Amino acid sequence: MEAIKSALDFSDFPRTDMFIAGVVSVFLVCFPIFPHSSFAMATMIQFLMFSLYGMGWNTIGGYGGQVDLGKAQYVGIGAYTAAVMLTRWNVPFWVSMPMGMFFAVCWSFIIGYPLFRLKGHYFAIATIATSLVLKDLFEVWDFVGAARGLEISPIKYSPPDFLRLIFKQDVYYYYIILGFFFLGILYVNWFRKSRLGFQLRSIKDNEDVARSLGINVHWAKVKTYAIATAFVSMVGSFHACYIKNIEPEDTMSLDLSILIALMAMLGGAGSLWGPIIGAGVLIPMKSYLKEWLGARAGLVGIDLIIYAIIIMLVSAVEPRGIWGIVERVRGRKAR
Amino acid sequence: MDILVSSLAAGLLIGMVLALVALGLTIIFGVMDIVNFAHGEFLMVGMYTGLLTAQSLRIDPLLTLPFAAIVGFVLGVICYVGFVKFLLRGPMVAQLLGTFGLMLFLRNLALLIFGSEDRALHHGLLVGKSFDIGMGVIIPATKLAAAGLSVAAFWAVWILMNRTKIGKALTATALNSQGARYMGIPTERMNALAWGIGGASVTIAGALIVNFWSVNPFIGLLFTMIAFAIVALGGFGSVPGAFFAGLVVGIITEIPGIWDFFTYTFNIRWMANVPMTSFKYMWVYLAYFIIMVVRPRGLFGWKR
Repeated sequence: MEAIKSALDFSDFPRTDMFIAGVVSVFLVCFPIFPHSSFAMATMIQFLMFSLYGMGWNTIGGYGGQVDLGKAQYVGIGAYTAAVMLTRWNVPFWVSMPMGMFFAVCWSFIIGYPLFRLKGHYFAIATIATSLVLKDLFEVWDFVGAARGLEISPIKYSPPDFLRLIFKQDVYYYYIILGFFFLGILYVNWFRKSRLGFQLRSIKDNEDVARSLGINVHWAKVKTYAIATAFVSMVGSFHACYIKNIEPEDTMSLDLSILIALMAMLGGAGSLWGPIIGAGVLIPMKSYLKEWLGARAGLVGIDLIIYAIIIMLVSAVEPRGIWGIVERVRGRKAR
Repeated sequence: MDILVSSLAAGLLIGMVLALVALGLTIIFGVMDIVNFAHGEFLMVGMYTGLLTAQSLRIDPLLTLPFAAIVGFVLGVICYVGFVKFLLRGPMVAQLLGTFGLMLFLRNLALLIFGSEDRALHHGLLVGKSFDIGMGVIIPATKLAAAGLSVAAFWAVWILMNRTKIGKALTATALNSQGARYMGIPTERMNALAWGIGGASVTIAGALIVNFWSVNPFIGLLFTMIAFAIVALGGFGSVPGAFFAGLVVGIITEIPGIWDFFTYTFNIRWMANVPMTSFKYMWVYLAYFIIMVVRPRGLFGWKR
């Protein structure tokens, strides 16, 4: 009960924030009623998925300050668990998703336990290395379809299938991921006020002081890493059912890991709204740039160039992201 | 037996080139504690420079090394002065993602300009020639030349770092940049120089590698990860460490050949069924992981 009350309590944010958040959430709930193209719908689903990825990254990377550039491996584990279980044994999504989370969390313990002895760059590169090892393994593992990947053919099932998450219209997917999205916000809101959340922020500020205050630094990091992993793997399972065709190249690639970290950082790592703002800015921009410049004008790669320039500008000019700018403006007004 | 010897020889030769690839990364890390994710992309720039100058000027690919070195030096200095300088003030997340943005930028610029197809050199003094050194071991002349020139370049950089005043200033900046500034060393300029030397050494390596390896815009990441593994094994910031670790990692990339040797020599059936060549680079990543867990300082590392 305490936890639920704490999760629903947003009172430490200013009124204007809550007003804007309310307007945005009403818009999100009502979005399918407005006339929209299927491209816009797909972009919205991508936005919700990536803000969830970003929230997961934000728990360890934002609040904890441990830069993880290997989140894509957990997306892959979640996606593959859901897809393999559905295609081979006809296991419904609501069973395979927790299984995927379980596998991902186990794997995160296996690699997180030794890796959290490392700090900073060393940790970041090591997460990339494990992610690439896992991707290479999945590319030759025949059981999961090797490099061809797995395909969930919707013909075998009768959509709308709420147990297996097979739908013809994107609206269903939209509302399911929207549900996850709101739950995710509530969870992170609880997390940042929990004991672990405070421990993590003190670790970020100064690890030695945190240790001297009796915080088990290593264990706190490993636990938070598992939480972040569970988030990412959950959305990975959803991704498998939504895209219906998964390959190691697009579920486990380094680009995905970086995109996740980047979005959280662009919006503002270490704040509740940061990843959502980041995803809201980047995902529409990325998909529309790709549509306009990449597909229509035939300029391959120009969308990623613009995207790279944004990364470079953000990291050089305002590393705390958009939320950092907002807070700076506010601080000036208060004075 | 011949498989084993030729695998080991190939591993050692490629290892010498890879050591040169990692040299730039370890210098940059040593001087200013920043990990350059765009390192492999610098190598790609070097490969394209070597390829295009050789093709357009119709000269031997080995003569393109000075061009590649100049391009790399200028690129490194521009990257530092125009971009990385601003990253150094920020937190570590910003540094990691910033150089990652640089990597994406260079990669996709190359994609836009050159297209995604593989390009390779087909002419040149040494292309296609090889030495037979007996016992069935055949060594391609391009690899031998690349390895020799890599060692020469490595030695030149080592001399620069250890026997000249500039090198001493660089080392001083690496050890304690504030102290170096008090002693009148222009640390800003030393940082730019480190990026210049780092860029030049890796583009030289690129111009050597293009002799026997086809180039496309996506090749950078593989070499970035290999360079990370070498630098981790040798110790972040250590120049001699990079050389020995380069040889070790070169042999690690030849694990499939060594595996074949054991498979055929002892006739082990299950070993023959493992698709070892698809794991070729996985061993490098795994080696990185194990090194970081067991000995994060690396073999010769002095930074913690």
